[in-house]
Formats: sequence, structure tokens, C-alpha cells
Amino acid sequence: MSMQDGIYYLVVCQLAAPAMTFALIGLPALLGRPLSEQATTRVVGAGFTSGFMAALATLVTLGLQGFPSQVVHLGTWFSVGHHAATIDLVADGLSVPYVCFSTGLCALVNAFAGKYLHREPGFTRFFLLLTLFGTGMNLMVLAGSIDVLFAGWEFLGLSSALLIGFFHERSNAVNASLRAYTTYRICDIGLLTAGVVVHAAVGSGDFGKLFSGTWPNAHCLVSTNVAVGVSILLVFAAMGKSAQVPFSGWLARAMEGPTPSSAIFYGALSIHAGAYVLLRCESLLDQAPAVQWAMVVIGSVTALHASVVGRVQTDLKSMLAYASMMQSGIIFVEIGLGWRVIPLVHVVSHAILRSLQILRSPSALHDRHELEAALGGHPGSEAWSPRHLLSERSQVWLYRLALERGYQDVSMVRLIVLPVRRLFEFAARGEERLIMWLGRDPTDSSRGGPK
Amino acid sequence: MRFSLSELMLLAAGITVAAPLVGTVVLGMGLFRSSPRIPAVVSAVVSLVSSAVLTILWNIGPLIPVEIGDSMGGGSLVDIDGVTGLLLPYVALVHLAIVLVAPRRFFDIASARRILIGSGMTLALFCTAHPLAIVGLWILTAVPTWFSIRAMPGGRPVARVYCIAMFPAVVCMTLGTCMLVGDPPWEPGSGTIGNVGGWLVAMAVLVRKGIVPFHSWYPALFSAAPMSTALAATMPQVAAYTAMRLLVGHADGVGWELIVLSQAALITAAYGAALATVQKDVKGLVGTLAMSQSAMVLAGLSGTVAMELNGALCVWISSGVSLTGLGLVAWAIESRAGSLSIESLQGRFRDAPLLAAFFLLFGLAIIGVPGTLSFVADDLIVSGCLDDQLHAGLFVIAATVLSGIAVLRGWFHVFGGPVAIDGPSHGILLRERVAMLGLLAVLLFFGLFPGRLVHSLEQAANSLMNESASSEGHLDFHVPAIP
Repeated sequence: MSMQDGIYYLVVCQLAAPAMTFALIGLPALLGRPLSEQATTRVVGAGFTSGFMAALATLVTLGLQGFPSQVVHLGTWFSVGHHAATIDLVADGLSVPYVCFSTGLCALVNAFAGKYLHREPGFTRFFLLLTLFGTGMNLMVLAGSIDVLFAGWEFLGLSSALLIGFFHERSNAVNASLRAYTTYRICDIGLLTAGVVVHAAVGSGDFGKLFSGTWPNAHCLVSTNVAVGVSILLVFAAMGKSAQVPFSGWLARAMEGPTPSSAIFYGALSIHAGAYVLLRCESLLDQAPAVQWAMVVIGSVTALHASVVGRVQTDLKSMLAYASMMQSGIIFVEIGLGWRVIPLVHVVSHAILRSLQILRSPSALHDRHELEAALGGHPGSEAWSPRHLLSERSQVWLYRLALERGYQDVSMVRLIVLPVRRLFEFAARGEERLIMWLGRDPTDSSRGGPK
Repeated sequence: MRFSLSELMLLAAGITVAAPLVGTVVLGMGLFRSSPRIPAVVSAVVSLVSSAVLTILWNIGPLIPVEIGDSMGGGSLVDIDGVTGLLLPYVALVHLAIVLVAPRRFFDIASARRILIGSGMTLALFCTAHPLAIVGLWILTAVPTWFSIRAMPGGRPVARVYCIAMFPAVVCMTLGTCMLVGDPPWEPGSGTIGNVGGWLVAMAVLVRKGIVPFHSWYPALFSAAPMSTALAATMPQVAAYTAMRLLVGHADGVGWELIVLSQAALITAAYGAALATVQKDVKGLVGTLAMSQSAMVLAGLSGTVAMELNGALCVWISSGVSLTGLGLVAWAIESRAGSLSIESLQGRFRDAPLLAAFFLLFGLAIIGVPGTLSFVADDLIVSGCLDDQLHAGLFVIAATVLSGIAVLRGWFHVFGGPVAIDGPSHGILLRERVAMLGLLAVLLFFGLFPGRLVHSLEQAANSLMNESASSEGHLDFHVPAIP
């Protein structure tokens, strides 16, 4: 077996393992015979572990070769005339380490969640969505074309929204889920349109026609105009998933979901999906310096916003959400500055640390007591903070600004969401009135129209 | 006795059409008075099986259309080709799902007969390409819907609206078809009257398809009529079939009608999806989503390249199956819990978890989530649009994004929220589960393995274009570019 054949099977395994796990749990549930809790966690654990082992083997194999880019052609899904939907995956220095750590984290979270969600009514639903997420993540990371990347991106968004609304009995969870999904969908316009532009420009969605060479030194193959256009659209798409200002309002609310999913989605993987897409298309960004500077500005504003707002949060998960947002903003800045390996290292290290913090958050009070017991009292006085440089009046103003989350959500709702919603409602009311008018009985003037 | 392949295909088509009509006769004779579902399901199953046989025979055969009877305007009285092979099983499947899921109180003998008559007429329509036969069956398929709406308590106003929409559509269709046939615009040295006829047919198609600005009756039908009536009237997409037989392929003569249809359909797709995001009840949600999705079919049918036609046929099947599923799930829930508002959280998840799962899956299938047939359909239609009208792709994207928000909002508002304790547990019945799993299996199977279906769609699209063009001596299919 040649190395290429070996890579082919390993990459297929990385994708197939979580996908088959999804089918194994989903089908019995759909037939009304869900697997037991133990069987569910075992099946999911086996799926993610085998995906992780395959990714690790690929990493070692590719690492020994100096991380060449290997395109794995899974086949042609369907073809019509000159259009062929091919499924191409890429194993290189960006995708394989990313799959390695994402499947590894999923496996760990699976082990944690099996205990954490014991006897929870939505136990099977959680693991179903976790495997859907794992499949989507691996599909997105290994994608060799913008079409495949979009497919994975969709699974990510969907599983994320459904897990935020996991505790569907709570109104807050449902509203937070809808808010997140609406933000995702609006920002998905960027990725979808980027796909259309790429197809129109090069006749295919393959990354091989957009850039060539090995990551992180790929060369752009399309004109500057196309590169700039696609970059703008990709940054727009990434802003939604990575909770950049002004699309960051959903992130703190997303903590309504179960802790394990919060850890893996908003501390580790989902929040960095946008950064990953931008890293994948780094050679396009190199052709668009203005877009890179815009990213630096957006990232900086996001980091500053998250830093200020996060300081006044009164619950631990919200604080961690804003901490994630701040790091995500800094990663945006790093990508905008043209760095490649540093943001990747930053993503991986931040994801691991934040997952641990979120997973530990339910035990925070216990931890605090243990700490105080060990120290024999209160841990100490409050550390110095830059706010001490401000006047008291400015501190109050800043405090209020932070409590209102920088008025970001209110402004978005008042300036964009409500006007659009009112427009749609106006149209819907017009339709109702038209139907009432058309449906009135002309011979019966006393009724004045159908009820 | 040996039958040729053509005879076997004719036999299968005949059984497909006759089965629902026989079921109607059986019900009319007073048999199965207490259980009208039995003959209805049997006839629908026979119809589905024979249509599937027809599809298999078409695909293993030489792909030569079977044409019998008087040929007029390029279409024979009985015309079985790739399009028939694709659409007959689809229509039969939709009708079978409807008769399986229809709640008992909506399925008395009279409504069962109306559904079966409508089914028979629709299937017959899909077996002909003869212009006058199409007109006749177009009228006949509209009538049972009107009776059904009128029979509903408080349904008269919407029946009136339906009548106001359908009457001019029927007149336009009849006059337009006569003018098209009398003075075919695609023949040299003629065409003025035929061109007017083409515009009249396009107008009729706009109304019957619920395209802006003639769309208002469409969501109203879903709000007022039983779901079976609304789905049976809209999902087969009679108007799209008419447009395909009478307008597509004659593009040299009536190209601008197609362009107008295409642009209006694109606007409708986005507008319907926008309306879906602010609906107050589940029926309104299904109605507006159906309006949006069915418009997308016409947008593709009116396109100018085979890829778009291919995409349109795919959207036709995918959106039809997924909307039928969604509508039937909504109907199943409403038959247990009463009318469901989506303005606030209804908390129905605990009561009906499997129905919640089906609602979500069909909803996701509508919006083109990867792994479902709709994803393939959207890909085909957007790829087709890239060849000649890029803006169409953006309209499709807008419609998809808005539909997604509407579906998730609907799902969370029906099933999310504090648990309702005002009724019994809403388990799913076996017949409902069978119907929904069947529809879902079609969506997922062809979504994951679309190769064979897409190949059949390609053959159907190409044969349709080539047949229509060659019958008028125009082998090149060309439409003037949109300015």
C-alpha cells in the first residue's frame, strides 16, 4: 500500500467515523427504539476515538514528509453536463492537526457528557447533535472545495443552534437558539455568495483552482478583484460564526445550552470555525490588504468590547463566553496581520484551555471553597486593573456601558432587526387584508367580510 | 401473449391513472362505508407501484417516448417520456402519504372520493402532452379543490378567493392554448396570435402557481382548506407541468414569457420565504414555504439552459416531498392539539417527540441541508443560474436563508417552551410513521446517492428540450439574454 493510499483510507476514516456514529444513534431513535445511555456513549466514544487515531496517524505520516498537501478524491457525487459535484478533501499542515485536536476534544467531551447528562430526557438528542457537529467539523476542516466546506459549515451551525435550545422548556434557551441561528443564517449569505462567485469565476468550487502550493505558503490563482470579493464575503461569514462585533450578541446567550456543548462549541471549536476558513483561504486575503486591515479593526473592537463587557458579568459561563470572544477577536487581528502559524497555535491552545474552564465551571464554587480551605482564608485583595486609571465618573459610565453590552444588541435590534421585521409583517398584514377583501360576500353587506 | 416494452409502459400508466378512479367507484358503491381509508390506501399503493414499474421500464428501455393518439402542437394524447417517468411516482407517493396520514375526522367517504378523483385527474394530466387534454384536465383538477374548501366550516370566503383566482386562469389557459395551437409562433411566417396565446398561457401559469402578484390565494388555501386538499392541489405542480409542456422548448417563439415567468418566480421565492418568517400559525408557515419553494421550480423551468431545467425538476420532487412531509406532520399535530400558533412557545415537544423530529427533518430538507435531496436540487439550480443569470443565484440564496430562519422559528415555537399539560400524550400512529419514514427515506436516499436520479433528470430535461425543439424544427434551444 502506497503512502497516498494510506492517507486516503485514514482521511476517509476521519470523516466516516463520526458520520457512521450519527447514523448508528439516529436510526434507532427515529424508529422509536433509542440506544441505552451506556451504548450511546460507547458508540460515540468509539467513533470519535477512531477518528482521532486516524487523524493522529495521518499527522505523523504527513509530518515525516514535511506536511505536503494531499488531495483525497472521494468521488463524484453527481454530475450533469459540465457540472460535476466532486467530493475532494485536503490533508495538509492546517487540516490534519485541526482534525486531530477537534476529534480528540469531542472524544473527551463525550466521556464527560455521558456522566453529566445521565438520565437527562434529551440524552440521545445531545449525542446525536454532538456527532452531527463532529461530522460537520471534520467535513469543514478537511474540505477541498468551497461546496464541501459549506456542507460542513451548515452542520456546525445547525447542531450549534439546536444544542443552545437543548433545554427547550426554557424560553430563554429557545430565544437564544433562534438568535444564534438567525445570526448564522444571515452571515451564511457571505459563504453562499462566495461559493457562487467562486463558481462563476473559475467554473468550480475546488480550492485547487483558487490557490496552489502548500499551506501556509499558498499562491493565489485568481484575479485580485475575485480575491478581494471572495475575501470580503468570507470575512462576513466568519464574523457570524466567530462572534465578532457587531454579530457577537448571540455568544453569551448561547451558554443556555448544556455545559459540555458550551465547552466544545463556544470555548473550543465552533467559535474558531470562522478563523479556520480564513486561514484556509489565506492566500486570497493576501491579495486584499484592505480586507486584512478591516479584520484587524474588527478583531480589535471585538476584543476590547469583550474585555469590557466580560468584566461585569455575574455568572461564570457568561464571563467565559466573553473571554472566548476576546481571544477570538485577537485571533482575527493575528490573521489580519498576515500571520499564519501563530493564529493556528493560538486557536488550539485557547480551545483546550477554554474547554477545560467551561467544563469545570459547574464545580467553580466547590473549587473556590477548596482554594480558600487550602489557603486558610480569602485568596487576597483585588488585583490591580487598568480601570483604576479612570476617574470615578468614567468608571460609572464604563460600568453602565458594559452592563448594556456596549448597546450593541439594542442598536442591532432597533436599527436592523425591527425595521426588517416590521416590513415583513406589513406585507403579511397586507396579504391578510387582501384575502379578506377578495373573500367578502358581495351580497351580504352587514358582515363586512369574512371572519 | 408477449407484450412489447411500450405496451407494458402503457399498461403501467393506465393502471397508475385508473387505480384511484377505481377506488372512487368502490367508495361510490357504498362499500367500505366505515373504513374509507382501506380502498383509498390500496388504490394509492397500486398507483405508486405501477408508476414505479413504469419508471423502471422507461429507464431500462431505449428511452424513446411512447406517443399515442392525436398529436397537436407537438404533444400526443398519451405521451410517456422521461418527465412522465419521473413525475408519476412522485405524484403517486404524495397522494399515498396524504391518504395514510389524513386524520379520521377529515377522511369521510366524500373527502376520500375527492382526494382520489383529484389524484386520478392529476396522474392523467401527467400522462398527456396534448394541449387540449391538458386544458381539460387543468380545469378538472381545480374543481375538487374548490368543493373541498367550500365544504369546510367557514371556508366559503377562501373558496371565493380561489374561484376569483382560478376563473381567469382557466379562461387564459383555454384561450391561450387555442391561440398557441391555432397559430404556433415557432412556425415560420406566423406567430402574432400565437405569441398572444403564449402570454395568456404564461399568465394562467402565474396564477395557478401562485406567483407574485397573483399569489394571495396560495397561502390562504393552506389556512382554510384541509391539509390534504392544499397539498393535493399544490404539490403535484400542475401549472409547472403545463408550462413545461406548452412553453419550455418553444423558446424561440415565446422566450420573453419564460423570462417574465422566471423573474416573477424568483421574486416570489424570496418574498414567500420572507412572509414565512412572520407567520402566526403553522398552516400559514407551511403555505408560505410552499409558495416560495414552488416558485423556485418555475424559476428553474423558465431558465434557458438544461442545467436549470434539471435543477427545477429536482426542486420539484425534493420540495414537494419535503413540504408534503412538513404539511402532514403539522396536520397530525393540529389534529391532536388544535390550531397551533407560532407567535408564542407552545411546548409540544414532550407530547410528541417523534413528530417533533419529523417536523425538524422535513423542515431541514426544505431549506436544503446537506445530505437531503434539496441540497442537490439547490446546487443544480444555482449552478444552472450561473450560466446565464447570476442574480437568480442570489435570489435563491435569499430564499434559502429566510426559509431556514422561518423553519427553525416554527419548530422552536411549536415544540419549545414550558411543557403543555392540557392534553393527552400525542404518540405517533403506525400509518403516520410509515408515511413519514417513507417520505424521509426518499429525501435522504436520493440526497446521499443522487447519481441515478440526477442522471434520469438530465435525460428527462434533454429529451424535453430536444423533443419540443425538433418537433418544431428548432434543434437549438435559445432564449435572448436578459438585458
